[in-house]
Amino acid sequence: MINPFRKGILFGTIISIVGTAFCVSAIFILMVAFVTAADTRKDFARHMDELLDTVESTASVACFVEDKQLAAELVSGLLKNRVVSRVVVQTADKELARGERAGSYRADATPEPMVQAVSRKIVSPFSKDKVICEISMEPDTREANRLVWENVYFTVSLLALQLLFVAVAVVLIVLYFVVRPIRALSNNLHSIDAAAGEKLLSPKEHEGNEIARLTDDINNLVGTLVDALQNEQQLRTQQEINQQKYRSIFDNAGSGIFIADVDGHISSFNRSFLLLTHFPADEHGQSPELAHAPWRDHDLLIKTIEACVMTGANQSVDLELDTEEPCWLNVILADSGDGQVQGVVSDVTQVKQSETTALQMVVTDSLTGLPNRLGLERYVLTIQCGHRDPCALMLVDIKEFTQINESMGMPVGDKVLKVAAARLMGCIKKTDWLARLGSDKFAVVLHGVSTPAAAENVAIRIIGAFRQPIEIEETSITSGCDIGIAFYPADGADLPSLLRSAEFALSYAKTTAGKDFQFFMPEMVVTAEQHRKLETELHQAIQRDELRLFYQPIIDLQEGRIVGAEALVRWQHPTRGLVPPDAFIPLAEKTDLICGMGLWVLETACRQLAVWQAAGQQLYLSINVSARQIPDALPPGLILEALKRHGLSASALALEITEGVLLSDIAEGVNWLKELRDAGFRVYMDDFGTGYSSLSYLKRFPIDVVKVDKSFIHDMNEETNDRLLVQAIVAMADALGLQVVAEGIENECQISLLRQMGCRYGQGYYFSRPIPADQFDLLHQKGIHLSPPKARCDEGEDFG
Amino acid sequence: MASAADDIVVIVNQNIGVNKMSRDDVIDIFLGRSRRLPSGVTALPLDLPSTSLEREQFYSRLTGKSMGEINAYWARLIFSGRASPPSLAMSQEEAMQMVADNRNAMGYVAKSKVTPSVKIIFELQPE
Repeated sequence: MINPFRKGILFGTIISIVGTAFCVSAIFILMVAFVTAADTRKDFARHMDELLDTVESTASVACFVEDKQLAAELVSGLLKNRVVSRVVVQTADKELARGERAGSYRADATPEPMVQAVSRKIVSPFSKDKVICEISMEPDTREANRLVWENVYFTVSLLALQLLFVAVAVVLIVLYFVVRPIRALSNNLHSIDAAAGEKLLSPKEHEGNEIARLTDDINNLVGTLVDALQNEQQLRTQQEINQQKYRSIFDNAGSGIFIADVDGHISSFNRSFLLLTHFPADEHGQSPELAHAPWRDHDLLIKTIEACVMTGANQSVDLELDTEEPCWLNVILADSGDGQVQGVVSDVTQVKQSETTALQMVVTDSLTGLPNRLGLERYVLTIQCGHRDPCALMLVDIKEFTQINESMGMPVGDKVLKVAAARLMGCIKKTDWLARLGSDKFAVVLHGVSTPAAAENVAIRIIGAFRQPIEIEETSITSGCDIGIAFYPADGADLPSLLRSAEFALSYAKTTAGKDFQFFMPEMVVTAEQHRKLETELHQAIQRDELRLFYQPIIDLQEGRIVGAEALVRWQHPTRGLVPPDAFIPLAEKTDLICGMGLWVLETACRQLAVWQAAGQQLYLSINVSARQIPDALPPGLILEALKRHGLSASALALEITEGVLLSDIAEGVNWLKELRDAGFRVYMDDFGTGYSSLSYLKRFPIDVVKVDKSFIHDMNEETNDRLLVQAIVAMADALGLQVVAEGIENECQISLLRQMGCRYGQGYYFSRPIPADQFDLLHQKGIHLSPPKARCDEGEDFG
Repeated sequence: MASAADDIVVIVNQNIGVNKMSRDDVIDIFLGRSRRLPSGVTALPLDLPSTSLEREQFYSRLTGKSMGEINAYWARLIFSGRASPPSLAMSQEEAMQMVADNRNAMGYVAKSKVTPSVKIIFELQPE
């Protein structure tokens, strides 16, 4: 308790007050002592003066008359005073009286007299100006000192006592008003539990004063602190929860997470990071490095980290690991601002593999496994990027593949394609390149081939390979191919132009009979341009009414009369004159022009039939229907409507179709045919025998008339085979209840043969070329005259 | 008062060799300080009766003090016996007579009373 007391306010206060009081007292006491001493001495001097005053008049008298006795009396009177030690009365020439008090001390006895001696000059009682004697009086110094000390002692004692009382009073006041409440406050503070909301009580006697205010302030402060402490506690708890949460997310994340600097030092990582990066187990120690993971391209990672830190932008990079199983990781880097990056690692192996597969699939033909058009483009792109060696691009097209596909079904077609691909593969070198561009179109890139001779060798090899029959499901298919060849860079500096050149060559090869491969020539472009121009003009021809309908009579070979005609379209070109059908019909068939043209033909034919009907002539017309027109461009309803409009019956119009019509879409074609036949129309099978059609078609398809192709008729005279064939067709048709029209009859011999075979109808240049309506009318009026049947036929009769 | 306005004169015997005296000389002799004239001649001062107007005027004019003061003065000195007050003359005439008769005598009278038998050596004019 001593130590706290010494440190306490009370002790300090007492010490301060007493110390201050002591110091102040000392100063004041000294001052008072001095003042008192001086006052006492002054009083003493004044007392001596007053003594002299009382004896002055007597001394004056005594000295005036120099009365020694009187003077002596005066001296002894003065000496009766204790303060006086010695008195001398001295006139101008003699000492009048002298006296000393026994036992007294004088100035000469003490070293420092506190009171000086006094003397007074005495004047004559009758003249103020005349000094007659002097009284000198010396004080008793001991008495004087005693008096001084007595006064000083008394005054100082009084003062000291006074100060002591004041000091004690101050101490008590401080103790009562300051120290005690503070100590009470302090004790209260020690005992209260602020956290439990306890408040400090203000001492009762101090209500409303500074102590009470202090109490309130402390209470407020304590309240604020307690609140702040509670908030802090709550925040810390929340923070800990959050940290645990994030730590848990970090630890359990499926993605690998790490923090590293540009040198690859890892400062933080999670378990997934180790698993994903195949981080070696012995490198998990103090300072793991990114380089420890088996990256294939560690430098790329470091460079990406540097880029991330430099730019501050997020970076993403795919990296492969050097592991047994292929493993690709995607690393997303974010700059954390302190020269480090936060990396998120995820396994993208599957994505990569899918990408690769998808890429492969995009550039690969799924059927043959060969690259497709995109693959070719990529390949050419890569060879262009590399060296600019010359090469040859060869487009190979399977002949009449469409027909194979349609007649034998898609699966067969696919097999044909596979076989074709395999055969092509066998015809080229390993350095060469094969792709399937379209349905039946293959591209061969012959590397380093720049001369036609070298390309031709390959082309002949390919053509030879394609001529071999393809055996599929016990069916033997013999096809062939057309090849268009273009050279790089002479025929095209880039793939599109090179392909176009090859396409030109291919289309020439297709249209040129007897030569299955063709090199690109610039003239082909010119020709193509002409075709295009022709197409434009043909389009305009319908609008400008430049088309004409010609009629080739169909003869009843038995009766020798015209029974009808085949309506054939001709183009009366304003500058070129009459354009032959070969020059524009295939073109029209390639485009949709044939549809408009077909409608025009129908309308014109109907109009002509109406004219004939009005003239009382029983003639029918057959019109050619192209595959493209069936079924939508020439619907049965439209034909019926046209006939009805012109007041015609269905028997007046026959529709000629080729085998191809039925091949393109059998179901639709058959429906179309049935609908028309039900309406009463007759259907002619044109060019019979030239296609791939089997005889079973004749039974399957609803047709009325078979038109035997002119190629059979033409060679009938000398070709025994053809004659037999025609005979077989006629016999079979007869058996099936079909009529037969022989086309391209050019001489009487053919007529005789046909008549012998029992072929009822025929047409050909022998009778008439296709002619305009007015000429046809004339011919009809004139009639056909058939010679009597000949025994044998001469050769060389040809009407061209 | 006619008499009060009169000069008071100090008279001495005609035979004395002194003709003139100062005021201090007069005070010394009449108030007991000295009994000798400056010439060395012993002087015998004479006072008038205490009721006399001239006596009062004489001391008043000579020292400026009242008769009470003069009496108190003499009272202090009488104890020691060192000095004695002047002898008494009953009147001015007697005073003049005594001066005229006694060579050492010295008195004071109103100037109007002075006869040639005496010699005036000091005059005190009214103030």
